[in-house]
Amino acid sequence: MQDENLWYKDAVIYQLHVRTFCDSNGDGVGDFRGLTSKLDYLQELGINAIWLLPFFPSPLRDDGYDIADYTSVHPAYGSLQDFKDFLAAAHNRRIRVITEMVVNHTSDQHPWFQEARGSRENAKRDWYVWSDTDSRYQGVRIIFLDTEMSNWAWDPVSKSYYWHRFFSHQPDLNYDNPAVREAIWEVMKFWLDIGVDGFRLDAVPYLIERDGTSCENLPETHEIIRDFRRRIDAAYAGKMLLAEANQRPADVRSYFGNGDEFHMAFHFPLMPRMFMAVKLEDRKPIIEILEQTPQIPDTCQWCIFLRNHDELTLETVTDIERDYMYDEYAVDKAMRIYLGIRRRLAPMMENDRRRVELLTGLLLSMPGTPIIYYGDEIGMGDNVYLGDRNGVRTPMQWNGGWNAGFSSADPERLYSPLISNPVYGYQAINVDSQRRSAHSLLSWTKSVIQTRNAFRVFRRGSIEFLNPSNHRVLAYVRCLGEEKVLVVNNLSSSAQAVELNLQTYKKHIPIEMFGRNLFPRIGELPYLLTLGPYQFYWFRLRRI
Amino acid sequence: MAEESFLADDFLRQLMSVGEVDLLVGIPTYNNAATLGQTLQSVEESLRQNFVRERAVILNVDGGSADETRQLFVQSGGRRDAGPRGLTSLRTTHRISCEYGKAPSQGLALLNIVAAADLLRAKACAVISPTTTNLTPSWVVNLLRPVYSERLDFVAPLYARSRFQGLLARDLLYPMSRAIFGQRVREIYCEEWGFSGRLASQCLEKEVWREEAVRARPEAWMAVTAIGGGLKCGQSFLGPKIAPPTGTDIVEIIRQTVGNFFWCMETNQATWLRGSNSQPVPTFGPDHELSLDGVPPSQEKIFELFRSGVSELEPILASILAQDTHAEIKAIALSDRSKFHFPAELWVKTVYEFAASYHHAVLNRYHLVQALVPLYRGQLYSFLLEHANASAEAMETQSEALCQEFERQKPYLVERWKVKR
Repeated sequence: MQDENLWYKDAVIYQLHVRTFCDSNGDGVGDFRGLTSKLDYLQELGINAIWLLPFFPSPLRDDGYDIADYTSVHPAYGSLQDFKDFLAAAHNRRIRVITEMVVNHTSDQHPWFQEARGSRENAKRDWYVWSDTDSRYQGVRIIFLDTEMSNWAWDPVSKSYYWHRFFSHQPDLNYDNPAVREAIWEVMKFWLDIGVDGFRLDAVPYLIERDGTSCENLPETHEIIRDFRRRIDAAYAGKMLLAEANQRPADVRSYFGNGDEFHMAFHFPLMPRMFMAVKLEDRKPIIEILEQTPQIPDTCQWCIFLRNHDELTLETVTDIERDYMYDEYAVDKAMRIYLGIRRRLAPMMENDRRRVELLTGLLLSMPGTPIIYYGDEIGMGDNVYLGDRNGVRTPMQWNGGWNAGFSSADPERLYSPLISNPVYGYQAINVDSQRRSAHSLLSWTKSVIQTRNAFRVFRRGSIEFLNPSNHRVLAYVRCLGEEKVLVVNNLSSSAQAVELNLQTYKKHIPIEMFGRNLFPRIGELPYLLTLGPYQFYWFRLRRI
Repeated sequence: MAEESFLADDFLRQLMSVGEVDLLVGIPTYNNAATLGQTLQSVEESLRQNFVRERAVILNVDGGSADETRQLFVQSGGRRDAGPRGLTSLRTTHRISCEYGKAPSQGLALLNIVAAADLLRAKACAVISPTTTNLTPSWVVNLLRPVYSERLDFVAPLYARSRFQGLLARDLLYPMSRAIFGQRVREIYCEEWGFSGRLASQCLEKEVWREEAVRARPEAWMAVTAIGGGLKCGQSFLGPKIAPPTGTDIVEIIRQTVGNFFWCMETNQATWLRGSNSQPVPTFGPDHELSLDGVPPSQEKIFELFRSGVSELEPILASILAQDTHAEIKAIALSDRSKFHFPAELWVKTVYEFAASYHHAVLNRYHLVQALVPLYRGQLYSFLLEHANASAEAMETQSEALCQEFERQKPYLVERWKVKR
């Protein structure tokens, strides 16, 4: 594969929902024209890819993941032409665009399902998974335990049950039917032809159902992915597929195949363990999960993140770890949903700038393509009382003025209330005020992204964990040819001393990467460093 | 403490790396490579099962082992804690090790443990013996939990014993410590116990670590320090204890325990001279357990050793005991062996007169304590004669009666203690 086609390895992805970002027409809902107007901001931030949450026509009962039309734009967000204009403007700024491809299910309002439920003889009947009983696939876990009692839902129209792994208004497509695969491929082609750079495939482990199995990660599912990948490689070089498979790394590994399935996949288990490590003040959770992370093909890459539009999922941690995370990060029951925590980064860190920076530093220095969730770069807060995960999907806070600069609509008309409390409210936390300060979180985030982007070793380099006896310190060396970077993180709330065995790098000079100051040359003795609470260093190791 | 630090630089460096902890488990070793692995496994399992969120360190203090003890301790850590899903314990369980000298010393071992507990600000600590071959994870939690959760400062073990185990503790050490210090802690001489960081800090400040009594049996001194200092003490049931015989004879055992206890009485006299009746302490699990198992020790020589001891040590006993006490002992030594009886009242009086004489240093303390050995044998013989076929309940009743006798006669002890002869 040509190096330029591996762009996703070099990306810093910014995740946003068009609805949340900027409203250009004053209807209270963000739209593509508004988003386009903010591309300069994103370019200035230093990101080079945008991952858009679903923007398709939808009854919006699951924030757009219930799609009613795959090849159009929800009217509230603009027109298809608006999207094309946005895409062109992003590309002009060397920003790639990744869109959602919700392949596992549709909305029950999708014409396909409406036809399918119309009669048992309808040609589209077999596009979904039907049964006369709700006893098939017994034992398959229910994902949305808080809201769903079964994976089957009764359809009163056609008087039979249909299969759904998520909400009951999201019937699963039947991938055993070749016509479904062709239809979804046509959808992909539609967007690829317009110019999108990649797809995040939603809920991929669940495409196929088989009796006597967990109906997850089945071989037939992989065959479907390989088929899509083959078609994309043949006709659309340089396009990327990102898997959403909320599984343990060993299970996700199979979605990379031999480099012939997904280009990227989320590393779900790493994220909660980063939070856990900071709270425990112990590197163990991070080291353990990365040690259990299998090697992936050279052309593949993990996607890593701190927070996103969903709950901070705790599906891939043990019960003990989950309890700990709840107790430490979600004391208020309102902060919990499904098997996770519906909070943003800054509130989880109790608005402690040092911890926010530490976690962001980890995100940007560990192997993998980092994803920054919109608003986290300025330390936006959340509203856990808004229901579902809407508390982390509130309008972007651009300034301290009318509706935070998000919309000119009456505040009552906004798709969601703004965050308005004294700590995280838009008067206190917003882009404009942080732009004016060289020491704001926004300015710091720009600087650290810039540093990451300037050194290829962060994007492509190997990682070697050091093992200092002080377990409050997480240290590693990233290496790519002659480019070497030493990263030392103090995970604790108190100052720490650490001795690092850097014999492999004897005679190298550590150069601190933000201030560019020289540190003493590495010699025979263990390299002694002291770090303040939650402090971290990035050192370029140079042999001069 | 002494002017020069006893903490080795390497040990200090290890402590720095560990940082603050909630729990500390100390394992004193000396050539324990054969059993240490099992001990470590139990300790780690206990921490993993019961204290998943707590910051914990396992500390090995070694007295210059010539075998692989230290290497085993360092090398056997690692991935053993991985559970079925690969990830179970939340934190790193730290393991650190230090060699405090080239010869074993329980006192120096404990000194390093309490120093580590103090520096690491441990909230709850336990000392675990690597010689116990049936140590289970429950032992560790049973010692740590009362300290960590119930805020006790000292937790003594309670063992399940056969009728003929621990007779010295039952007939002398427990009744006397209960009467003197007023808290019903059964086992203050033990190889496993728990203590708080607060107690560790208090002990560290005491200028007694060079004393022979502390060097030999520091746990009893620690217990007495806790009791005397008004700290909260308790006991926790551990079950039966299996350990290889130490080979130490009764003379040495009495010197180490009774002699040590007399020394503790002296150094803590301000706390007990005005004390009143004993009080029960919080007990976790059964109070204790006495089984009908066990074979009584051979009685053949015991009586002869008692009788010859009373005769041979007559001048020494005369200088220790009150005249009438001495006379009574001489009289029973002449009685018919098959009808021999050492009255509880006389036994208690004897022990208290030894304690007072120890305090007044009427003769070399080493020799003084040794002179108690034949008399203890007399008491032991009397016990075995009368209880060889007794039920556990009957033996317990006798033990309680003896305890009450010790308490009843405490004023006599105080009187003799205060009046220098």
